[in-house]
Amino acid sequence: MFRNPLLLIALALTAGVAVWGIFDTQGLAGFAAAQVKVAFRSRGWFVMLTASILLLTSLWLAFSRYGKIKLGREHEVPEFSTISWLTMMFAAGMGVGLLFYGSAEPISHFLFMQDYVGQEQAATEALLLTYFHWGLHAWAIYGFTALVLAYFGFRRDTPQMVSAPVISVFGRTRWTRTVGWLMDLLSIYAIAIGLAGSVAMGVFQVQDGIAILFNIENAGLELALGVFVVLCLAYLLPLTMDLSKGMATLSNAAIFLAVGLLIYVLLVGPTSFLMNNITEGIGMYFSKVIPQGFMTYSLYDETVRNRFSDWTLNYMVWWLAWAPFVGVFIARISRGRTIREFLMGVLLVPTVFSILWFGVFGGIGFFEGAAGNLDPTIVQTNINQTSFLLLDTLPLSFLTVSATIVAAFLFIVTSVVSAAFVLSMFSTGGNSNPSVRIKLIWGAILGALGLVMILSNSVEAVRQIIALSASPFVFIVLFLMVCLLKALKKEKV
Amino acid sequence: MENLIDTVLNFFVFAFVGVMVWLYFKEIPENDGSERQSNEK
Repeated sequence: MFRNPLLLIALALTAGVAVWGIFDTQGLAGFAAAQVKVAFRSRGWFVMLTASILLLTSLWLAFSRYGKIKLGREHEVPEFSTISWLTMMFAAGMGVGLLFYGSAEPISHFLFMQDYVGQEQAATEALLLTYFHWGLHAWAIYGFTALVLAYFGFRRDTPQMVSAPVISVFGRTRWTRTVGWLMDLLSIYAIAIGLAGSVAMGVFQVQDGIAILFNIENAGLELALGVFVVLCLAYLLPLTMDLSKGMATLSNAAIFLAVGLLIYVLLVGPTSFLMNNITEGIGMYFSKVIPQGFMTYSLYDETVRNRFSDWTLNYMVWWLAWAPFVGVFIARISRGRTIREFLMGVLLVPTVFSILWFGVFGGIGFFEGAAGNLDPTIVQTNINQTSFLLLDTLPLSFLTVSATIVAAFLFIVTSVVSAAFVLSMFSTGGNSNPSVRIKLIWGAILGALGLVMILSNSVEAVRQIIALSASPFVFIVLFLMVCLLKALKKEKV
Repeated sequence: MENLIDTVLNFFVFAFVGVMVWLYFKEIPENDGSERQSNEK
Protein backbone atom coordinates (compact mmCIF):
# COMPACT_ATOMS: atom_id res chain seq x y z
CA MET A 1 0.00 0.00 0.00
CA PHE A 2 2.75 2.46 0.93
CA ARG A 3 4.53 1.83 -2.38
CA ASN A 4 1.54 3.11 -4.33
CA PRO A 5 1.80 6.91 -4.69
CA LEU A 6 -1.57 7.17 -6.47
CA LEU A 7 -3.34 5.54 -3.54
CA LEU A 8 -1.51 7.64 -0.96
CA ILE A 9 -2.07 10.95 -2.74
CA ALA A 10 -5.72 10.15 -3.48
CA LEU A 11 -6.29 9.20 0.16
CA ALA A 12 -4.49 12.34 1.37
CA LEU A 13 -6.46 14.59 -1.00
CA THR A 14 -9.89 13.22 -0.12
CA ALA A 15 -9.07 12.93 3.60
CA GLY A 16 -7.82 16.56 3.47
CA VAL A 17 -11.16 17.73 2.08
CA ALA A 18 -12.97 15.68 4.73
CA VAL A 19 -10.90 17.20 7.57
CA TRP A 20 -11.35 20.72 6.16
CA GLY A 21 -15.08 20.15 5.91
CA ILE A 22 -15.44 18.72 9.42
CA PHE A 23 -13.57 21.61 11.06
CA ASP A 24 -14.83 24.41 8.82
CA THR A 25 -17.93 23.21 6.99
CA GLN A 26 -19.16 26.67 6.02
CA GLY A 27 -15.66 27.68 4.86
CA LEU A 28 -15.48 24.69 2.50
CA ALA A 29 -19.01 25.23 1.20
CA GLY A 30 -18.31 28.95 0.64
CA PHE A 31 -15.04 28.24 -1.17
CA ALA A 32 -16.75 25.65 -3.40
CA ALA A 33 -19.63 28.02 -4.20
CA ALA A 34 -17.25 30.86 -5.18
CA GLN A 35 -15.08 28.65 -7.40
CA VAL A 36 -18.05 26.98 -9.05
CA LYS A 37 -19.62 30.37 -9.78
CA VAL A 38 -16.50 31.53 -11.65
CA ALA A 39 -16.06 28.22 -13.48
CA PHE A 40 -19.69 27.98 -14.56
CA ARG A 41 -19.87 31.60 -15.68
CA SER A 42 -16.86 31.11 -17.94
CA ARG A 43 -17.18 27.50 -18.99
CA GLY A 44 -20.88 26.75 -18.77
CA TRP A 45 -21.03 26.64 -22.57
CA PHE A 46 -18.24 24.06 -22.61
CA VAL A 47 -20.04 21.75 -20.17
CA MET A 48 -23.25 21.90 -22.23
CA LEU A 49 -21.40 21.46 -25.50
CA THR A 50 -19.54 18.45 -24.11
CA ALA A 51 -22.76 16.77 -22.93
CA SER A 52 -24.37 17.38 -26.35
CA ILE A 53 -21.29 16.16 -28.23
CA LEU A 54 -21.26 12.98 -26.15
CA LEU A 55 -24.94 12.37 -26.94
CA LEU A 56 -24.61 13.06 -30.67
CA THR A 57 -21.42 10.98 -30.94
CA SER A 58 -23.13 8.12 -29.09
CA LEU A 59 -26.07 8.20 -31.51
CA TRP A 60 -23.73 8.37 -34.50
CA LEU A 61 -21.68 5.41 -33.21
CA ALA A 62 -24.79 3.34 -32.54
CA PHE A 63 -26.03 3.73 -36.11
CA SER A 64 -22.66 3.67 -37.85
CA ARG A 65 -20.79 0.58 -39.07
CA TYR A 66 -18.96 0.61 -35.72
CA GLY A 67 -22.24 -0.32 -34.04
CA LYS A 68 -21.62 -3.94 -35.05
CA ILE A 69 -18.40 -4.17 -33.04
CA LYS A 70 -18.71 -6.46 -30.04
CA LEU A 71 -17.47 -5.38 -26.62
CA GLY A 72 -15.46 -8.56 -26.16
CA ARG A 73 -14.34 -11.45 -28.32
CA GLU A 74 -16.44 -12.20 -31.41
CA HIS A 75 -17.87 -15.44 -29.99
CA GLU A 76 -18.77 -14.00 -26.56
CA VAL A 77 -22.38 -13.74 -25.47
CA PRO A 78 -23.73 -11.31 -22.82
CA GLU A 79 -23.22 -12.49 -19.25
CA PHE A 80 -26.54 -11.07 -17.95
CA SER A 81 -30.05 -11.23 -19.40
CA THR A 82 -31.19 -7.95 -20.97
CA ILE A 83 -33.69 -7.27 -18.15
CA SER A 84 -31.07 -7.83 -15.40
CA TRP A 85 -28.57 -5.74 -17.34
CA LEU A 86 -30.96 -2.80 -17.63
CA THR A 87 -32.10 -3.04 -13.98
CA MET A 88 -28.57 -3.10 -12.59
CA MET A 89 -27.51 -0.25 -14.85
CA PHE A 90 -30.38 1.94 -13.77
CA ALA A 91 -29.89 1.23 -10.05
CA ALA A 92 -26.22 2.16 -10.32
CA GLY A 93 -26.78 5.34 -12.29
CA MET A 94 -29.66 7.05 -10.55
CA GLY A 95 -30.30 5.51 -7.16
CA VAL A 96 -31.33 7.71 -4.34
CA GLY A 97 -31.56 10.88 -6.45
CA LEU A 98 -34.78 9.62 -8.03
CA LEU A 99 -36.47 9.25 -4.65
CA PHE A 100 -35.14 12.60 -3.50
CA TYR A 101 -36.03 14.69 -6.53
CA GLY A 102 -39.03 12.74 -7.92
CA SER A 103 -41.56 15.41 -6.96
CA ALA A 104 -39.31 18.12 -5.57
CA GLU A 105 -37.52 19.00 -8.79
CA PRO A 106 -40.53 19.50 -11.09
CA ILE A 107 -42.31 21.52 -8.36
CA SER A 108 -39.21 23.65 -7.80
CA HIS A 109 -38.92 24.45 -11.54
CA PHE A 110 -42.66 25.12 -11.67
CA LEU A 111 -42.49 27.68 -8.84
CA PHE A 112 -39.65 29.45 -10.58
CA MET A 113 -41.11 29.40 -14.09
CA GLN A 114 -44.68 30.43 -13.27
CA ASP A 115 -43.50 34.03 -12.86
CA TYR A 116 -42.11 33.99 -16.39
CA VAL A 117 -44.53 31.93 -18.51
CA GLY A 118 -47.76 31.44 -16.55
CA GLN A 119 -48.95 28.37 -14.64
CA GLU A 120 -49.98 25.98 -17.45
CA GLN A 121 -46.85 26.55 -19.51
CA ALA A 122 -44.71 26.44 -16.35
CA ALA A 123 -45.90 22.92 -15.46
CA THR A 124 -45.00 21.59 -18.92
CA GLU A 125 -41.67 23.41 -19.03
CA ALA A 126 -40.84 22.22 -15.50
CA LEU A 127 -41.32 18.60 -16.52
CA LEU A 128 -39.34 19.14 -19.73
CA LEU A 129 -36.40 20.57 -17.81
CA THR A 130 -36.51 17.72 -15.29
CA TYR A 131 -36.59 15.13 -18.10
CA PHE A 132 -33.66 16.94 -19.68
CA HIS A 133 -31.60 16.74 -16.47
CA TRP A 134 -32.27 13.00 -15.99
CA GLY A 135 -32.54 11.88 -19.61
CA LEU A 136 -30.42 11.26 -22.68
CA HIS A 137 -27.62 13.71 -21.83
CA ALA A 138 -27.05 12.19 -18.38
CA TRP A 139 -26.97 8.70 -19.83
CA ALA A 140 -24.75 9.76 -22.73
CA ILE A 141 -22.17 10.93 -20.15
CA TYR A 142 -22.40 7.60 -18.29
CA GLY A 143 -22.75 5.50 -21.41
CA PHE A 144 -19.86 7.00 -23.31
CA THR A 145 -17.48 6.65 -20.36
CA ALA A 146 -18.64 3.06 -19.90
CA LEU A 147 -18.27 2.36 -23.62
CA VAL A 148 -14.66 3.55 -23.67
CA LEU A 149 -13.77 1.46 -20.61
CA ALA A 150 -15.60 -1.60 -21.97
CA TYR A 151 -14.10 -1.30 -25.45
CA PHE A 152 -10.51 -1.04 -24.24
CA GLY A 153 -11.01 -3.48 -21.38
CA PHE A 154 -12.67 -6.24 -23.36
CA ARG A 155 -11.15 -5.81 -26.83
CA ARG A 156 -7.67 -4.65 -25.90
CA ASP A 157 -7.38 -6.30 -22.48
CA THR A 158 -6.43 -3.11 -20.68
CA PRO A 159 -7.07 -2.74 -16.93
CA GLN A 160 -10.35 -1.03 -15.98
CA MET A 161 -8.70 2.32 -15.31
CA VAL A 162 -9.58 5.73 -16.71
CA SER A 163 -5.95 6.13 -17.84
CA ALA A 164 -5.86 2.80 -19.71
CA PRO A 165 -7.34 4.03 -23.04
CA VAL A 166 -4.77 6.86 -23.24
CA ILE A 167 -1.83 4.50 -22.74
CA SER A 168 -3.37 1.92 -25.06
CA VAL A 169 -3.79 4.40 -27.94
CA PHE A 170 -0.75 6.64 -27.55
CA GLY A 171 1.70 4.13 -26.10
CA ARG A 172 3.47 4.08 -22.76
CA THR A 173 5.46 7.30 -22.84
CA ARG A 174 6.32 9.85 -20.17
CA TRP A 175 3.47 12.18 -21.12
CA THR A 176 0.83 9.45 -21.31
CA ARG A 177 1.91 8.06 -17.94
CA THR A 178 1.78 11.53 -16.37
CA VAL A 179 -1.54 12.51 -17.93
CA GLY A 180 -2.97 9.05 -17.22
CA TRP A 181 -1.90 9.23 -13.59
CA LEU A 182 -3.54 12.63 -13.23
CA MET A 183 -6.72 11.31 -14.86
CA ASP A 184 -6.87 8.41 -12.41
CA LEU A 185 -6.32 10.75 -9.46
CA LEU A 186 -9.02 13.20 -10.56
CA SER A 187 -11.44 10.33 -11.22
CA ILE A 188 -10.90 8.92 -7.75
CA TYR A 189 -11.43 12.35 -6.25
CA ALA A 190 -14.58 13.03 -8.31
CA ILE A 191 -16.08 9.63 -7.41
CA ALA A 192 -15.38 10.05 -3.68
CA ILE A 193 -16.90 13.53 -3.47
CA GLY A 194 -19.82 12.73 -5.78
CA LEU A 195 -20.71 9.62 -3.83
CA ALA A 196 -20.45 11.41 -0.50
CA GLY A 197 -22.94 13.98 -1.77
CA SER A 198 -25.42 11.24 -2.58
CA VAL A 199 -24.88 9.72 0.87
CA ALA A 200 -25.74 13.06 2.45
CA MET A 201 -28.84 13.51 0.30
CA GLY A 202 -29.96 9.98 1.12
CA VAL A 203 -29.42 10.57 4.84
CA PHE A 204 -31.36 13.86 4.70
CA GLN A 205 -34.23 12.06 3.04
CA VAL A 206 -34.25 9.07 5.40
CA GLN A 207 -34.08 11.50 8.34
CA ASP A 208 -37.14 13.43 7.19
CA GLY A 209 -38.99 10.24 6.31
CA ILE A 210 -38.47 8.90 9.82
CA ALA A 211 -39.50 12.25 11.29
CA ILE A 212 -42.77 12.21 9.32
CA LEU A 213 -43.41 8.51 10.00
CA PHE A 214 -43.04 8.85 13.77
CA ASN A 215 -44.22 12.47 14.11
CA ILE A 216 -40.89 13.70 15.40
CA GLU A 217 -41.00 17.46 15.75
CA ASN A 218 -37.87 19.47 14.88
CA ALA A 219 -35.87 16.50 13.58
CA GLY A 220 -32.49 18.18 13.30
CA LEU A 221 -28.92 17.20 12.83
CA GLU A 222 -29.04 14.67 15.67
CA LEU A 223 -31.44 12.41 13.79
CA ALA A 224 -29.41 12.79 10.57
CA LEU A 225 -26.27 11.77 12.45
CA GLY A 226 -28.12 8.81 13.98
CA VAL A 227 -29.17 7.65 10.48
CA PHE A 228 -25.60 8.16 9.32
CA VAL A 229 -24.18 5.94 12.10
CA VAL A 230 -26.63 3.13 11.22
CA LEU A 231 -25.69 3.54 7.56
CA CYS A 232 -21.96 3.24 8.33
CA LEU A 233 -22.58 0.07 10.33
CA ALA A 234 -24.68 -1.31 7.47
CA TYR A 235 -22.02 -0.85 4.81
CA LEU A 236 -18.92 -1.79 6.80
CA LEU A 237 -19.79 -5.50 6.96
CA PRO A 238 -20.32 -5.98 3.20
CA LEU A 239 -16.94 -4.33 2.59
CA THR A 240 -15.15 -7.10 4.47
CA MET A 241 -16.46 -9.90 2.28
CA ASP A 242 -17.22 -10.68 -1.34
CA LEU A 243 -20.88 -9.90 -1.57
CA SER A 244 -21.15 -9.03 -5.24
CA LYS A 245 -24.23 -11.25 -5.62
CA GLY A 246 -25.73 -10.00 -2.35
CA MET A 247 -25.20 -6.43 -3.48
CA ALA A 248 -26.98 -7.15 -6.77
CA THR A 249 -29.91 -8.55 -4.77
CA LEU A 250 -30.06 -5.47 -2.51
CA SER A 251 -29.84 -3.19 -5.54
CA ASN A 252 -32.64 -5.11 -7.28
CA ALA A 253 -34.72 -4.92 -4.09
CA ALA A 254 -34.32 -1.12 -4.04
CA ILE A 255 -35.38 -0.89 -7.70
CA PHE A 256 -38.27 -3.27 -7.03
CA LEU A 257 -39.50 -1.00 -4.20
CA ALA A 258 -39.08 2.09 -6.40
CA VAL A 259 -41.01 0.52 -9.29
CA GLY A 260 -43.68 -0.64 -6.81
CA LEU A 261 -44.06 2.96 -5.58
CA LEU A 262 -44.27 4.23 -9.14
CA ILE A 263 -47.03 1.79 -10.06
CA TYR A 264 -48.88 2.41 -6.78
CA VAL A 265 -48.88 6.19 -7.19
CA LEU A 266 -49.91 5.88 -10.85
CA LEU A 267 -52.85 3.59 -10.05
CA VAL A 268 -54.02 5.10 -6.75
CA GLY A 269 -53.36 8.71 -7.80
CA PRO A 270 -55.13 10.60 -10.60
CA THR A 271 -54.24 8.03 -13.29
CA SER A 272 -55.60 9.76 -16.39
CA PHE A 273 -54.10 13.12 -15.33
CA LEU A 274 -50.71 11.48 -14.84
CA MET A 275 -50.88 9.58 -18.15
CA ASN A 276 -51.79 12.80 -19.94
CA ASN A 277 -48.79 14.44 -18.33
CA ILE A 278 -46.47 11.63 -19.34
CA THR A 279 -47.73 11.52 -22.94
CA GLU A 280 -47.33 15.26 -23.31
CA GLY A 281 -43.93 15.08 -21.67
CA ILE A 282 -42.66 12.40 -24.05
CA GLY A 283 -43.63 14.49 -27.06
CA MET A 284 -42.16 17.67 -25.62
CA TYR A 285 -38.94 15.98 -24.58
CA PHE A 286 -38.14 14.20 -27.81
CA SER A 287 -39.00 17.27 -29.90
CA LYS A 288 -36.83 19.62 -27.84
CA VAL A 289 -34.07 17.51 -26.33
CA ILE A 290 -31.33 18.33 -28.85
CA PRO A 291 -31.83 22.16 -28.90
CA GLN A 292 -32.22 22.15 -25.10
CA GLY A 293 -28.76 20.61 -24.85
CA PHE A 294 -27.29 23.73 -26.45
CA MET A 295 -29.20 26.25 -24.30
CA THR A 296 -26.99 28.48 -22.12
CA TYR A 297 -29.53 31.28 -21.34
CA SER A 298 -26.90 33.94 -22.00
CA LEU A 299 -29.50 36.56 -23.05
CA TYR A 300 -31.76 36.00 -20.04
CA ASP A 301 -31.63 37.96 -16.78
CA GLU A 302 -29.23 37.07 -14.00
CA THR A 303 -31.85 35.15 -11.98
CA VAL A 304 -32.41 32.77 -14.90
CA ARG A 305 -28.68 32.43 -15.52
CA ASN A 306 -28.07 31.61 -11.86
CA ARG A 307 -30.87 29.09 -11.94
CA PHE A 308 -29.28 27.49 -15.04
CA SER A 309 -25.96 27.20 -13.16
CA ASP A 310 -27.53 25.91 -9.97
CA TRP A 311 -29.54 23.21 -11.67
CA THR A 312 -28.62 22.31 -15.26
CA LEU A 313 -24.85 22.81 -15.06
CA ASN A 314 -24.77 21.30 -11.60
CA TYR A 315 -26.54 18.19 -12.87
CA MET A 316 -24.24 17.81 -15.85
CA VAL A 317 -21.10 17.95 -13.70
CA TRP A 318 -22.74 15.66 -11.17
CA TRP A 319 -23.22 13.03 -13.88
CA LEU A 320 -19.61 13.65 -14.87
CA ALA A 321 -18.55 13.07 -11.25
CA TRP A 322 -20.33 9.74 -11.20
CA ALA A 323 -19.28 8.77 -14.75
CA PRO A 324 -16.07 6.87 -13.86
CA PHE A 325 -17.82 4.96 -11.06
CA VAL A 326 -20.99 4.13 -12.97
CA GLY A 327 -18.94 3.70 -16.16
CA VAL A 328 -16.80 0.95 -14.65
CA PHE A 329 -19.88 -0.79 -13.31
CA ILE A 330 -21.83 -0.59 -16.59
CA ALA A 331 -18.75 -1.73 -18.51
CA ARG A 332 -18.36 -4.78 -16.26
CA ILE A 333 -21.94 -5.95 -16.82
CA SER A 334 -21.96 -5.26 -20.58
CA ARG A 335 -19.33 -7.68 -21.86
CA GLY A 336 -20.48 -9.51 -24.98
CA ARG A 337 -22.89 -6.83 -26.24
CA THR A 338 -22.39 -4.90 -29.48
CA ILE A 339 -21.74 -1.15 -29.41
CA ARG A 340 -25.18 -0.54 -30.96
CA GLU A 341 -26.99 -2.75 -28.46
CA PHE A 342 -25.00 -1.20 -25.62
CA LEU A 343 -25.66 2.42 -26.56
CA MET A 344 -29.33 1.92 -27.36
CA GLY A 345 -29.86 0.13 -24.03
CA VAL A 346 -27.91 2.68 -22.00
CA LEU A 347 -29.47 5.73 -23.65
CA LEU A 348 -33.09 4.84 -24.25
CA VAL A 349 -34.33 2.55 -21.48
CA PRO A 350 -33.22 4.59 -18.44
CA THR A 351 -34.42 7.78 -20.17
CA VAL A 352 -37.88 6.33 -20.72
CA PHE A 353 -37.97 5.17 -17.09
CA SER A 354 -36.93 8.64 -15.89
CA ILE A 355 -39.74 10.19 -17.97
CA LEU A 356 -42.23 7.79 -16.38
CA TRP A 357 -40.86 8.42 -12.90
CA PHE A 358 -40.85 12.21 -13.03
CA GLY A 359 -44.08 12.25 -15.04
CA VAL A 360 -45.82 10.37 -12.22
CA PHE A 361 -44.17 11.99 -9.18
CA GLY A 362 -43.96 15.46 -10.73
CA GLY A 363 -47.49 15.13 -12.07
CA ILE A 364 -48.95 14.17 -8.71
CA GLY A 365 -47.04 17.06 -7.15
CA PHE A 366 -48.77 19.50 -9.52
CA PHE A 367 -52.12 17.79 -9.00
CA GLU A 368 -52.05 17.81 -5.20
CA GLY A 369 -50.62 21.35 -5.22
CA ALA A 370 -53.51 22.58 -7.39
CA ALA A 371 -55.99 20.70 -5.18
CA GLY A 372 -54.62 22.45 -2.11
CA ASN A 373 -53.42 19.19 -0.48
CA LEU A 374 -49.75 20.13 -0.72
CA ASP A 375 -48.03 23.45 -0.20
CA PRO A 376 -45.62 23.64 -3.19
CA THR A 377 -43.32 26.03 -1.31
CA ILE A 378 -42.20 23.04 0.78
CA VAL A 379 -39.45 22.60 -1.87
CA GLN A 380 -38.08 25.97 -0.77
CA THR A 381 -38.37 25.38 2.98
CA ASN A 382 -37.61 21.65 3.31
CA ILE A 383 -37.01 19.92 -0.01
CA ASN A 384 -36.22 16.58 1.69
CA GLN A 385 -39.82 16.23 2.89
CA THR A 386 -41.53 16.75 -0.49
CA SER A 387 -41.88 13.08 -1.51
CA PHE A 388 -43.12 12.05 1.92
CA LEU A 389 -45.71 14.80 2.19
CA LEU A 390 -47.03 13.80 -1.23
CA LEU A 391 -47.23 10.13 -0.29
CA ASP A 392 -49.07 11.27 2.82
CA THR A 393 -51.91 12.54 0.61
CA LEU A 394 -52.51 8.99 -0.70
CA PRO A 395 -53.92 5.93 1.13
CA LEU A 396 -51.57 3.55 3.02
CA SER A 397 -49.06 6.33 3.48
CA PHE A 398 -47.38 4.53 6.41
CA LEU A 399 -46.44 1.70 4.03
CA THR A 400 -45.37 3.89 1.11
CA VAL A 401 -43.30 6.23 3.29
CA SER A 402 -41.66 3.20 4.93
CA ALA A 403 -40.94 1.69 1.50
CA THR A 404 -39.35 4.98 0.38
CA ILE A 405 -37.13 5.07 3.48
CA VAL A 406 -36.04 1.45 2.99
CA ALA A 407 -35.38 1.98 -0.74
CA ALA A 408 -33.33 5.14 -0.03
CA PHE A 409 -31.33 3.29 2.61
CA LEU A 410 -30.68 0.33 0.26
CA PHE A 411 -29.64 2.63 -2.57
CA ILE A 412 -27.10 4.37 -0.32
CA VAL A 413 -25.64 1.14 1.10
CA THR A 414 -25.21 -0.46 -2.33
CA SER A 415 -23.74 2.76 -3.76
CA VAL A 416 -21.17 3.11 -0.98
CA VAL A 417 -20.12 -0.55 -1.16
CA SER A 418 -19.79 -0.41 -4.97
CA ALA A 419 -17.95 2.94 -4.86
CA ALA A 420 -15.49 1.71 -2.20
CA PHE A 421 -14.78 -1.26 -4.49
CA VAL A 422 -14.25 0.90 -7.60
CA LEU A 423 -12.09 3.40 -5.68
CA SER A 424 -9.96 0.53 -4.33
CA MET A 425 -9.63 -0.87 -7.84
CA PHE A 426 -8.64 2.49 -9.36
CA SER A 427 -6.17 3.30 -6.60
CA THR A 428 -4.39 -0.07 -6.91
CA GLY A 429 -3.70 0.08 -10.64
CA GLY A 430 -6.87 -1.69 -11.78
CA ASN A 431 -6.63 -4.66 -9.39
CA SER A 432 -10.02 -6.36 -9.74
CA ASN A 433 -9.65 -8.01 -6.33
CA PRO A 434 -8.49 -5.24 -3.96
CA SER A 435 -7.70 -6.10 -0.34
CA VAL A 436 -10.27 -5.75 2.42
CA ARG A 437 -8.01 -3.23 4.19
CA ILE A 438 -8.03 -0.84 1.21
CA LYS A 439 -11.79 -1.22 0.77
CA LEU A 440 -12.31 -0.43 4.46
CA ILE A 441 -10.05 2.64 4.22
CA TRP A 442 -12.10 3.91 1.28
CA GLY A 443 -15.30 3.05 3.13
CA ALA A 444 -14.10 5.17 6.07
CA ILE A 445 -13.09 8.07 3.80
CA LEU A 446 -16.46 7.98 2.03
CA GLY A 447 -18.11 8.00 5.46
CA ALA A 448 -16.02 11.00 6.57
CA LEU A 449 -16.83 12.89 3.36
CA GLY A 450 -20.50 12.01 3.76
CA LEU A 451 -20.33 13.37 7.31
CA VAL A 452 -18.91 16.66 5.97
CA MET A 453 -21.82 16.97 3.56
CA ILE A 454 -24.30 16.18 6.33
CA LEU A 455 -22.71 18.75 8.65
CA SER A 456 -23.13 21.37 5.92
CA ASN A 457 -26.86 20.66 6.46
CA SER A 458 -27.66 22.08 3.05
CA VAL A 459 -28.39 20.31 -0.22
CA GLU A 460 -27.19 23.42 -2.08
CA ALA A 461 -23.78 23.29 -0.36
CA VAL A 462 -23.53 19.58 -1.17
CA ARG A 463 -24.19 20.28 -4.84
CA GLN A 464 -21.55 23.04 -4.99
CA ILE A 465 -18.88 20.84 -3.41
CA ILE A 466 -19.64 18.08 -5.91
CA ALA A 467 -19.59 20.51 -8.84
CA LEU A 468 -16.18 21.84 -7.87
CA SER A 469 -14.69 18.36 -7.60
CA ALA A 470 -16.22 17.07 -10.82
CA SER A 471 -15.37 20.01 -13.08
CA PRO A 472 -12.06 18.56 -14.39
CA PHE A 473 -13.82 15.41 -15.56
CA VAL A 474 -15.32 17.32 -18.47
CA PHE A 475 -11.80 17.40 -19.98
CA ILE A 476 -11.13 13.76 -19.13
CA VAL A 477 -14.27 12.46 -20.79
CA LEU A 478 -13.45 14.36 -24.01
CA PHE A 479 -9.95 12.92 -24.00
CA LEU A 480 -11.45 9.44 -23.60
CA MET A 481 -13.70 10.17 -26.59
CA VAL A 482 -10.68 11.03 -28.74
CA CYS A 483 -9.01 7.77 -27.65
CA LEU A 484 -12.05 5.70 -28.61
CA LEU A 485 -12.58 7.39 -31.98
CA LYS A 486 -8.91 7.00 -32.79
CA ALA A 487 -8.97 3.31 -31.86
CA LEU A 488 -12.14 2.68 -33.87
CA LYS A 489 -10.47 4.07 -37.01
CA LYS A 490 -8.26 0.96 -36.95
CA GLU A 491 -11.14 -1.51 -36.60
CA LYS A 492 -11.86 -3.52 -39.74
CA VAL A 493 -15.65 -3.41 -40.01
CA MET B 1 -10.23 41.41 -13.46
CA GLU B 2 -13.38 39.37 -14.09
CA ASN B 3 -12.80 39.61 -17.83
CA LEU B 4 -9.20 38.52 -17.48
CA ILE B 5 -10.16 35.41 -15.50
CA ASP B 6 -12.87 34.68 -18.04
CA THR B 7 -10.39 34.97 -20.92
CA VAL B 8 -7.76 32.82 -19.21
CA LEU B 9 -10.26 30.09 -18.32
CA ASN B 10 -11.63 30.01 -21.86
CA PHE B 11 -8.18 30.18 -23.42
CA PHE B 12 -7.38 26.99 -21.55
CA VAL B 13 -10.48 25.36 -23.03
CA PHE B 14 -9.54 26.45 -26.58
CA ALA B 15 -6.00 25.14 -26.10
CA PHE B 16 -7.36 21.85 -24.79
CA VAL B 17 -9.71 21.46 -27.76
CA GLY B 18 -6.79 22.25 -30.10
CA VAL B 19 -4.65 19.56 -28.48
CA MET B 20 -7.49 17.04 -28.74
CA VAL B 21 -7.95 17.74 -32.46
CA TRP B 22 -4.20 17.45 -32.99
CA LEU B 23 -4.05 14.14 -31.06
CA TYR B 24 -6.97 12.76 -33.08
CA PHE B 25 -5.16 13.31 -36.37
CA LYS B 26 -1.65 12.52 -35.07
CA GLU B 27 -0.21 9.39 -36.65
CA ILE B 28 0.91 6.80 -34.08
CA PRO B 29 3.63 4.42 -35.35
CA GLU B 30 2.26 0.87 -35.70
CA ASN B 31 5.26 -0.67 -33.87
CA ASP B 32 4.03 0.89 -30.63
CA GLY B 33 1.34 -1.78 -30.68
CA SER B 34 3.07 -4.40 -28.57
CA GLU B 35 3.80 -1.83 -25.90
CA ARG B 36 0.26 -0.53 -26.03
CA GLN B 37 -1.22 -3.98 -25.54
CA SER B 38 0.87 -4.64 -22.45
CA ASN B 39 -0.68 -1.86 -20.47
CA GLU B 40 -0.49 -3.44 -17.04
CA LYS B 41 -0.07 -2.00 -13.63
